[in-house]
Amino acid sequence: MATISEEISGSAGTAELEGDTTYVEGVGNIPRNIYKHVKSDPLGDLPRYSVHIVIQHFVTFVTFLVLAATGLALHYSGLWWTYYVMDLFGGPDTARLVHRISAAFMVLASVYHVATIIAGTLHKIIKKEFDIKRTQIPRLKDIQDAIHDIKYFLGKEPYRPKMEKFMYKQKLHYLAILWGTFVLVTAGTTLLFPETMATIWPNPQFAQNLARLMHADEAVMAITVVVFWHWSNVHLVPGRFPLQWVFITGRITREHQIEEHFLEYLNNLREIPEEREYMKKLLKEKGFETN
Amino acid sequence: MKLLRLFLDIHPERKHVRMILSTGVKMSLFLAALFAFSIIGIRAEAADKENCLMCHKYRQIGRIDEQGRKRSYYVNENIYANTTHRNVPCRDCHTYITRIPHDPVTEEVNCANQCHIKPPFSKENFSHKKIIDIYNKSVHGIKEEDSEELKAAKPYCKYCHLNPIYREVAAERIAPTTLLRCLNCHDKKGVTQAYKHITHRLRRKTSRSPQEIVELCSKNCHEDVEKMAKFKVSHESLEAVETYKASMHGKSVLLGSQDSADCISCHASSAIHDIYKKDDKNATINIANRAKVCEQCHEGVNERFIRIDVHQNLEKDPILHFAAINLTFAFYGSVFGLLGLALLETIGRKKDGIKWQIRQGTTWRGVSKRWLNKYGPKQ
Repeated sequence: MATISEEISGSAGTAELEGDTTYVEGVGNIPRNIYKHVKSDPLGDLPRYSVHIVIQHFVTFVTFLVLAATGLALHYSGLWWTYYVMDLFGGPDTARLVHRISAAFMVLASVYHVATIIAGTLHKIIKKEFDIKRTQIPRLKDIQDAIHDIKYFLGKEPYRPKMEKFMYKQKLHYLAILWGTFVLVTAGTTLLFPETMATIWPNPQFAQNLARLMHADEAVMAITVVVFWHWSNVHLVPGRFPLQWVFITGRITREHQIEEHFLEYLNNLREIPEEREYMKKLLKEKGFETN
Repeated sequence: MKLLRLFLDIHPERKHVRMILSTGVKMSLFLAALFAFSIIGIRAEAADKENCLMCHKYRQIGRIDEQGRKRSYYVNENIYANTTHRNVPCRDCHTYITRIPHDPVTEEVNCANQCHIKPPFSKENFSHKKIIDIYNKSVHGIKEEDSEELKAAKPYCKYCHLNPIYREVAAERIAPTTLLRCLNCHDKKGVTQAYKHITHRLRRKTSRSPQEIVELCSKNCHEDVEKMAKFKVSHESLEAVETYKASMHGKSVLLGSQDSADCISCHASSAIHDIYKKDDKNATINIANRAKVCEQCHEGVNERFIRIDVHQNLEKDPILHFAAINLTFAFYGSVFGLLGLALLETIGRKKDGIKWQIRQGTTWRGVSKRWLNKYGPKQ
């Protein structure tokens, strides 16, 4: 471990630490770039997701893969690879059943999620701990953050933006998931129960056609976004490679928290005494005055 | 040799050795018989009282007709003996043959003929007349007002029933062991014949798989849009194959489903041949009868549900077309936008001095050269 810490302090240099600092009561002036010098446990240092969210993500993740495999093969029926997928699932009749069962579990996870969010929010409101900045609700600041971040990656800003628990990318994705789940569940229900839904929709023919179009289109889009964006963000981007354990442990690494969720890190400092001690010690090591 | 000596080494007091010998001899005799039978085979016998096969059994029998086509008149007795018509004498269908050797055949076989076979529990000779009557009334039957072209294009019995894609019934033949169980109570002859004739039809609504039905209806006919357009069929009918294959019924069948609806699941009753245009009140898909069709698979069928047209071309609806265009834009916009963002971030972070490696505590291994050049203190 000694060699690693030496390497870190030797290579990154402390020159970057001068400049933008944030004063925290009881800790000291925290340089914006301190994340390049902290020690991080790959399995996570700071709390991010509750066990409920971890379970929901896991159920969604497994059912998503099954739904994608069966759904794509059914939608693109007739392409050469679809026959192999059908063989894997035991024919289209079984594949359709598997698709429906997976869908039921995914809906269950979604309901669970909504229940968790509502109950959690109510709990926080009662305890007077509710802070809209720490939620997924989009704010004007997210657009500013996005512009700031793009500028940073183009080399036009010295530091990454100071962001809350959920940054602009995550809020965008969360909104997309809300919309996608709504569309897929509505269209899927129309396709699965055409007889009942025909009595509910004002124009059954149009509803059926729209459901056919939307279910497939929205699903293909969801799959593409997950494969090309979500996976690259959580697996491929340097610093996140090969994967982040937060989806299992529910804990985020210190380095990641300070870099992308600086304002949430300040909350962590306020709430976790051990973290305060760690940061105080680190600042002393790097030669920053503490009080 | 050792083994042989063991068999032949008989000692009067060692009875069990003699027993081995006798069992061995029996075994080899049995095997020899089995081998002999397997070579000789047991000839299948068809009903050929008038000995037509005397000539038609020769493989080379045939001629080149006036159009220059090769015609083969060879009848393979073994194949014929396994067909549905195996008990029907030749002249029951080929009625125009009155003397042997016969004149060149010019007439087609008429499937509405009565043959000299009495079905079980029936006093009348069997005939396909009933189903042919149903068929002739259907949209596929030849009508007087039809044009010559349409008359020629309409399928007749043999078009479907001898169609190469439709002919092989034996694929689903029953295991002989299954048949043996029936023989506990029934006479062999009746059972085997009834079994071969009926069983493949008992498995599903029709004896053919949905895939075969779809292929039979579409190939060379309903999927040939130019050909169908000549007969002034409706717009829906013209693109029926295309819209079916885009529907969930069609997609499942294409992938091998045995439960999904094929063409005749909806367009015909159990009589299979009674296909009518949807405005005809006899049509199974007529709005008055349609609920019954849907009820075969769907539960809770209602008045609004049966009005949903399954042969829908999604691209023809202007609103859906507009929606599809917008969705395409949204799709490519988001995919390329997000990919661009991820790429920008990857390149930015690489330049920022982060190493692309499995993390051990931290991935910040390098110096941010970009930062130092731009904002760092001058070296």
